[in-house]
Amino acid sequence: MTILNSLIAVFGTLILAFLVSIWLPGIERKFIHARIQQRVGPPISSLGIMAPIKFFFKKTIIPNSPMPNLYNVLPVISLLSCVFIFLFIMPQMYYLGALASIIAIVGLLKIEEVIYMFMGSLSKSILSVNMPFPDLAKGGKHRKATRSFLEELSSLRAFRLIAFGSFPIYIAFFVPVAIAKSIYIGDIVLYQQINGPILFTVAGAIGALVYFIGYMILLNEYPFVILKTKADVIEGPLLEYAAKYRAYVYLTRGFLMFVLASLFATLFLGIPPNIFDWKVLINIGVAILFPIAMALLSAFSPIFTFRQFYPVVAGVSILGILAIIAAFI
Amino acid sequence: MSDNNNKKIIETEVPMGMVHSAAIEPYRVRLFVEDEIVRDAEITVGINHRGIERIMEGLPVEKANSLTEKICGICSNSHIWNSVLVAEKALGIEIPERASYIRIVVEELERLHSHLLYLAHGSEVLGHETFAMRLFYIRETVMELLGMIGGNRVQYGAPIIGGIRPRCDLNEMRIKKIKEGMDFLEEKVAAFADRFTSDPMIMARITGVAVLSKKDAIRLATSGPTLRATGVDIDLRRDMESYDPFEFDIITQKDGDVKSNLLVRVFEIFESIKIIRQAIGNLPPGKITNRSWGMQDTPIVKSYIEVPRGKLYHSYKLEEGRTRNVIVRTPSITNIGAMEHACIGAHITDAQLAIVQCDPCFTCTDRAIKIIRL
Repeated sequence: MTILNSLIAVFGTLILAFLVSIWLPGIERKFIHARIQQRVGPPISSLGIMAPIKFFFKKTIIPNSPMPNLYNVLPVISLLSCVFIFLFIMPQMYYLGALASIIAIVGLLKIEEVIYMFMGSLSKSILSVNMPFPDLAKGGKHRKATRSFLEELSSLRAFRLIAFGSFPIYIAFFVPVAIAKSIYIGDIVLYQQINGPILFTVAGAIGALVYFIGYMILLNEYPFVILKTKADVIEGPLLEYAAKYRAYVYLTRGFLMFVLASLFATLFLGIPPNIFDWKVLINIGVAILFPIAMALLSAFSPIFTFRQFYPVVAGVSILGILAIIAAFI
Repeated sequence: MSDNNNKKIIETEVPMGMVHSAAIEPYRVRLFVEDEIVRDAEITVGINHRGIERIMEGLPVEKANSLTEKICGICSNSHIWNSVLVAEKALGIEIPERASYIRIVVEELERLHSHLLYLAHGSEVLGHETFAMRLFYIRETVMELLGMIGGNRVQYGAPIIGGIRPRCDLNEMRIKKIKEGMDFLEEKVAAFADRFTSDPMIMARITGVAVLSKKDAIRLATSGPTLRATGVDIDLRRDMESYDPFEFDIITQKDGDVKSNLLVRVFEIFESIKIIRQAIGNLPPGKITNRSWGMQDTPIVKSYIEVPRGKLYHSYKLEEGRTRNVIVRTPSITNIGAMEHACIGAHITDAQLAIVQCDPCFTCTDRAIKIIRL
């Protein structure tokens, strides 16, 4: 009976998370951005899943990639890594030990990031080198230069972001770890049930701010959107995904938004997602609040190039380290 | 900076286009980079060549003039006006003062919508969609005024040889609407400029980026606001007879970066509003067309005018009322060198901004092609 209850709780919470997550991109992009930009947008009840549904019914185009099958399966792997993160923060999974720890979550998030890099390196769209244009003709400049696809640029940027862009969110993860003195999610939740939410401590409040910036960087939202900036690489590897594979990419983003918000609620408020606990409403509340805050900030931000990106990440990371030091004190 | 005269070895090239989702027009840009920093650039146009000069060859001059309007969807009036000026200059036609004033109103309205489009597109390339959307919303007022005057939002066909089309005359109701439109624009653009220049994130993106020095701008034969953004005080409107009755300032900035380019256009918007207010406030009564002129054969006559992007050149000769040897040169052709130069030293993401800061109109620039036999 306990196993059955646990299974119902896990799958019920997962379905609930998925249902909420399909709203989130719609709230962020179609509702708040539209109102700020003074354009007519859809009502708030409009689902963000409309775009994925549309793509599910479109004809699949075989991408121009050296390994098209691997390329197509990458969004699914990305979605699965997000699902696993969500599973490991549920209370029913705490018996898994190391898997339900900050280290496992960091590892799974890294998979999600690395996949973006693979997407870039495996994509060869027509917009750049493959464009049938005779620009290596007589009179052309630097005809012996190696020609790089735009998606390779995106891949290179993804690599840089893996190296430093995700520092803030990972540093923020370790603020609750430092306070609870444990890397296990179960221990961090238990600590907060006894001592109150970490968010309401000085270190926790700073950590929450750092977490939010990291959340925006990980979701590649303005101004941290250099990975897929409109001015050059556009959507980077996403440019080549069509039909259901593009739908998976959209679903992954929506789900990741929910997962990261739930992770915040777990680490900083001590409320893990559980459909049998009314506090799951707080999880949902945080999941909705984060995209709203992100939309408000991103609507008034230009894209940062690395010239602005590096100092911002460095500054936020230092703030996060200060929060960890404060947590130890 | 070709392979021959440049010792530096460029290892990586990132080509974009002709078709690219970020570009609103078809053009090819090859960026030669070292760790995402552009070391050289090459811009190619040529796939949108429509052969308008060839079509104009032998057409009756009135028809040829209206065809020039199709060269550009942003500065359509500038083309037809300059083409009409060539005929008027060749045939020695005096135009009524009222028509001259109305031509100025239409041209300055066009400058307003062109500059607002530039600012909106620039904001979009910066990644600031909110500003882009709001600027399009402000620009809509100008488009409606142009639609009211000419009957169309893009090709209004105001100038004809000897004056303006009767449809474009300004009555009391139209003058009132233009006045209201200018008040609205002045308020909104001032608010935008204030918000734009006080935003530290935007200033960080545009200050000192894609710098074009005064010396380079002159060397590369840059024209228009792009030249003025480097500190060169040249505006053909100062030398144009049609602008003599109006008081306005030539706007210059000194840094030649993206910020200077944006600011020049923003301040020029206020100058255009000033000119329009003077024109509709002192609009002379009387005829709008001089029909007492006769056709004759003429040698090639040239005309230069200042349009939103810089210096526009039209020339042709008349034979039995038909145009011959038509040549059109748009400002962007001379600004391409400036665009390539401004890219050098910029980050790849800023390279697109460096091109956009020169306000290119590549489709109009596709005037002639040169076939290179390999």
